[in-house]
Amino acid sequence: MSALSLANTQPTLAQLVAPPSQTDGVPVATERCLRILGAELINSASLLLSLPQVASSTAQVLFQRFFFCASFRDNSVLRIASACLFLSTKLEECPRKPRDLINVFNFLCQLRRGHTPTILDVDFPKYTAIKNDMMDGEMHLLAKLGFNVHVQHPHGFMINYLQSLDLTSNKELMQRAWNYLNDSGRTLAVVLFQPPTIAAASIYMAANDVGEPLPLSPPWWEVFDAPLEDLQTIEALLRTMYATKVPKSLPLEEPIQVAATR
Amino acid sequence: MKSRWADAGDSDASDDGGRGPQGGGARGDRAKAQAPRSKRRRGPSADAGASDGTASDQAAHMGDVRDGSPAGTPEPAASAATAVAAAQPVQRPPPLVPFIRPCRSVDNYEKLNRIEEGSYGIVYRARDRATGEIVALKKLKLQNETNGFPVTTLREIHTLLMAKHPHIVDVREIVVTPSLSGIFIVMEYLDHDLKSLMEDMPSPFLLSEIKTLMHQLLSAVASLHRNWIIHRDLKTSNLLMNNRGRIKVADFGLARRYGSPLGPITQLVVTLWYRAPELLLGATTYTTAIDMWSVGCIFGELVNKEPLLPGRGELDQLSRIFKLLGTPSEATWPGFMDLPLAKTVHFKQLPANNLRTTFPYLPEDGLDLMAKLLTYDPQQRITAEEALRHPFFTNNPLPKNPDLFPSFPSKAAGERRHKIPVPEAPHAHQDLPAGSLFDNQPAENGAGFRLRV
Repeated sequence: MSALSLANTQPTLAQLVAPPSQTDGVPVATERCLRILGAELINSASLLLSLPQVASSTAQVLFQRFFFCASFRDNSVLRIASACLFLSTKLEECPRKPRDLINVFNFLCQLRRGHTPTILDVDFPKYTAIKNDMMDGEMHLLAKLGFNVHVQHPHGFMINYLQSLDLTSNKELMQRAWNYLNDSGRTLAVVLFQPPTIAAASIYMAANDVGEPLPLSPPWWEVFDAPLEDLQTIEALLRTMYATKVPKSLPLEEPIQVAATR
Repeated sequence: MKSRWADAGDSDASDDGGRGPQGGGARGDRAKAQAPRSKRRRGPSADAGASDGTASDQAAHMGDVRDGSPAGTPEPAASAATAVAAAQPVQRPPPLVPFIRPCRSVDNYEKLNRIEEGSYGIVYRARDRATGEIVALKKLKLQNETNGFPVTTLREIHTLLMAKHPHIVDVREIVVTPSLSGIFIVMEYLDHDLKSLMEDMPSPFLLSEIKTLMHQLLSAVASLHRNWIIHRDLKTSNLLMNNRGRIKVADFGLARRYGSPLGPITQLVVTLWYRAPELLLGATTYTTAIDMWSVGCIFGELVNKEPLLPGRGELDQLSRIFKLLGTPSEATWPGFMDLPLAKTVHFKQLPANNLRTTFPYLPEDGLDLMAKLLTYDPQQRITAEEALRHPFFTNNPLPKNPDLFPSFPSKAAGERRHKIPVPEAPHAHQDLPAGSLFDNQPAENGAGFRLRV
């Protein structure tokens, strides 16, 4: 298989069993929180930059992929999140100035620490620091992902599925399914499953929420080649993510410290 | 007749895909899909060999137990069991997806020689240390990038991946130096680029050869346009050619995807000599038709073995176009006067169309295709799909089979034309002592002339 591909890449079993962060001694729960933190940071920044949803989703997938090849002990959430969004604005042809990105990320960091947000000027040392971190992070990201940075998204599949299930009149169901898709970027579902399965899972969850009966003989998910176990796994990943409270103490701008006992 | 070429192109794809011992992924998959059938046909004894050759590490990882029989000495009973298992319908393994994997090091390749240096970077010829395959390594220039990794390179990689085609250069992977300061795109290696090849050729391509090359080029361009990609820099130096009569479109540095509606896109594209008139006249939007104009210029260059419209500047380029095709008007190009530069610049009215005098030996059908490619109005200009169906490719002389193309010494590989040492005819030496052949004869003085040998 060629090293470059347009299909969404997936982690190997070895990467999945022992991601680099865990090998470095970062607890499983902490890693999950850091992943959620980074994905939320990307989402907030892309909202502030009025980027299209696709830029945010791509960046989140890149973020999730990256930490199967590198550790949170060596990379701060800010560094990789900003690099992912910076790269995805270029991949999705919606460019933003590095300066705008830097200021938005700085704004979000200050907000999280409870500081009054300030605007960074280009000659501030802080500005240069964030910029270098973002640029280096981008290069690092590309190399670690082997330049497989083109991401396919489930959104298009979901629209097709909704149309073929004749659900397009149910506005609430559609909106819920769409929201689940956007939230899936904060979970590992986007790296563990291919887009059609995620699309089916979001419809599955949304239909359960609003109590919309869907054909069961044969089960509708089988028509879309999505096993029920996969849909339930994705649902579990999302529900776990919703239930997870990210501690305020997690560092955003520095790599996480690991107890030296390991 | 067309189907013959389609077939030739298809088989070409599979040939090229599996040149190396480790082959492409597609080939591996196909071979695996065929494995059960071949097992049944060849019987149990061929089993171990057949399965081991095709099982990749990926398949092994995905738990493809069917091919998991140990290599070497299969026991008769075990292999009979596999044969029975193979005869039953085999459950398809889950679709293989690539794994998240970092870039490999450039040290996996052995640098052989430099091929060329362009504005985008340096291209090296290199050998894959594992497989011995010869590849081209394109080193990216990354100095003073204020905007991080160049978006043009990201587009190039993406478009090359989207546009997999037998006549589009194949990109294999990206490799890096350990410090990440050097980034190389690994591409398949081809012996020539069409421009320097034509410069070295004693005579132009034959008509049958031109038909083959144009058909290949058009099939590649049609595939690009089908995938919503505009190349934006088609020219002979970006067409690579191997010694088996195949050309491949390369250098996607300016290529980009486009959509409908068309967003703002830059006007400063395409090398001047191949630039379409609507770009020269400052059109704000353009379509895939700009690629077709470039194809027309390449066609003319193939026929005459020299650039068709070698302008010295944008205005000179326009006046050369008008000299060749006549000055456009609202009649020949509706909307011409609305173009930004059509009003500001005043052009001499040149009504004549000089295509026939420029290509005196091109048959009528070829001239018709040329005229359709070099049509002023982008709306009326022929598309790649239409051009592929043009009678030029089905009339006599038929396109030449690529395998029958002459081969040339590769400049990129540093090969010289092989010279066989042939003794030269004796030269008359001025300093030869006069009459040396007749030394033993007494010289006749005052004889009026002497025999010089």
